[in-house]
Amino acid sequence: MAGKSGREISATPKGGITKILSWEGALILVFIAVIILGKSISPNYTLNNVLREMQKYLPEIFMMFGMGFILVLGDIDISVGSIVCLCATLTCIAANAGVPFILAALLCILIGTCCGMLNGFLATKFTELPTMIITLGTQIIFRGIAEMSLGSGGSVSYKNSKDIAVLAKKIGPFPISFFLVIILGVVMITVLSRTTFGRKLYAIGSNKTASYYAGIKVQRTRFLCYTILGTLAGLCALFLLSALYGANTTTGQGFEMEVIAMCVFGGIATTGGKGNLIGGLIAAFIIVCLRIALGQINMNTQLILVIIGAMLIVSVLIPQIKNALMPKKQKV
Amino acid sequence: MKKRVISIVLSAVMAAALLAGCASTGSSAPAAESAPAEEAAPAEEAAPSEEAAAPEAGAATYALITKSAGNPYNEKEAEGFQEVIDAMGGTCIIQHPEAATADAQIAVIQSLISQGVSSIAIAANDANALSAALQEAADAGIKICTLDSDVVADSRATFCNQAGVQEVGQALIDAVYDLTGGEGQYAILSATSQATNQNAWIDSMKAISEGDAKYAGLELVEVAYGDDEPQKSTDQTQALLQKYPDLKVICAPTTVGIAAAAKVLQDQGSSVVLTGLGLPSEMAEYIGADDAHSCPYMFLWNPIDLGRLAAYTSIALVNGDITGAVGDSFTAGDMGDYTLTGLADGSGSEIILGPPFQFNPENIDEWKSVY
Repeated sequence: MAGKSGREISATPKGGITKILSWEGALILVFIAVIILGKSISPNYTLNNVLREMQKYLPEIFMMFGMGFILVLGDIDISVGSIVCLCATLTCIAANAGVPFILAALLCILIGTCCGMLNGFLATKFTELPTMIITLGTQIIFRGIAEMSLGSGGSVSYKNSKDIAVLAKKIGPFPISFFLVIILGVVMITVLSRTTFGRKLYAIGSNKTASYYAGIKVQRTRFLCYTILGTLAGLCALFLLSALYGANTTTGQGFEMEVIAMCVFGGIATTGGKGNLIGGLIAAFIIVCLRIALGQINMNTQLILVIIGAMLIVSVLIPQIKNALMPKKQKV
Repeated sequence: MKKRVISIVLSAVMAAALLAGCASTGSSAPAAESAPAEEAAPAEEAAPSEEAAAPEAGAATYALITKSAGNPYNEKEAEGFQEVIDAMGGTCIIQHPEAATADAQIAVIQSLISQGVSSIAIAANDANALSAALQEAADAGIKICTLDSDVVADSRATFCNQAGVQEVGQALIDAVYDLTGGEGQYAILSATSQATNQNAWIDSMKAISEGDAKYAGLELVEVAYGDDEPQKSTDQTQALLQKYPDLKVICAPTTVGIAAAAKVLQDQGSSVVLTGLGLPSEMAEYIGADDAHSCPYMFLWNPIDLGRLAAYTSIALVNGDITGAVGDSFTAGDMGDYTLTGLADGSGSEIILGPPFQFNPENIDEWKSVY
């Protein structure tokens, strides 16, 4: 199961000790190391502070689950940042025009779902096109529509911000979005690792043609995954609104790359058929907690990005080095 | 089955690590305190020991959040801010967001809340999007002011405004008076006819010249509109030169207009001279006292002074000298006394930096690389 990336991650169950030595096990250790690092470099690295700062990043983790599905399929979706922008913009405009909060919230998720369906439609109708290019196109289209809706000012504010702020509330020190991440996590991890639907994704990601001959409705499954990601992007936009009270032309910018980075760091291969969402979830928390820690010592924000980029490269390299040192029997 | 158990165990370990790692705040905090504080502000070398000893005066931490990294205009603001904070012995934190977005600024604001800074001065990337984060900061007892670009008035105490309408109008009409020699024709080359700030400055110039006999010799022949497009501004400049052969001065209070007019006048070797509001980087080749240059001097704001004003404002807010109410006043070191004035829409207060800064042949070389 080593494959190109060489990381020992798969949906197939293994024995106890190999599990501890797996990528997820290593991620847990890295996570603990990040927490210890945070505690040692910043006196302000307390549970309350970390959770409060984390709130800003949590909506992105919603999308990580959907992106995980897409990557396991061997596809990619780089339009999610623009979907977030479009959902947030149109929801604001609708709410300001008098649409009640509940309806506006549903609208937000619905718009995201529709955008995801459009991606899915294009990806399944034009299978010869790389999904990177298709979603690059929709990325530009969605943001273009959002910018047109925003008009010349390039910014819209949510007038009844009291309504939307409900979503930013906390239960104890935990923001609502934290619980949503946990719930979504349980559901999505279970779906991917313990259902036939999940197994189909790995099958498609490993070999589309073989999956097709095995009777898997490949295109329908892909369409569904894009739709799920779109829905999660809508949900992300909704929670983003609860913090931003509005949208502008830069809303959601770069989210797609952050979300993909979480997945890849978590061991989900962009080539498909490999990795799982537990890794993605732990990786997401590693990245967020590290950012918060380095932010608290006022490290240059660009340097923080460099560090996270370097971590990503190293995470991809480690298994390669390991493979080179310990060659497997059946290497081609 | 085994995998499910393992997943649950892994999740539990992770949650436990999060809780265990973060929960113990009290005991370990004091020991670690000194190291990060020094790392936080490398330039703050002045008397770190006193700071530890005197929690009242020196322990205050003043933060400035710029619009983006690598923005020379913002760097100059930060330079002024840091200079003032260092001089009074406070701790200064300058943070650039990772991107020029409100979203990236929120991450910085949240981090500063965790650090328990005393004040935040911010050049906002969006007027509305920072409200929730700034409100959280204010709830945590942090004093907030904006500089350069404002947020909605109820999410900050006050705004350090680089461009007061009255001050800009006065500086421009005085320049016209000076360059015409006290009498003669002048024209204004503006942006669009609806531009709020342009019209406010032009109205202010008119009001000042009508209200004072000193300016009686000046004759405003036309307000031309170049719509902030280089080509249209060029056309409008040429039209002005043809229509008014006795024209002495063109005043262009717009960066696009002044650059276009400067090129026309300089290329034609016209005797008409130019002044107005312009960017030093764009105008450097046209600024000079001799006939070969079309613009003897022009104005814009000084970002260093704006940064210094923001620093003094932060200090005054932290010390409780001002609350942000209209009519409050404070002394900004050697910059003099400032009074908070009301915004035009009555929603909050602002502090006007003062007359715009003059760029002339002596200082243009220093500023042209800045912005």
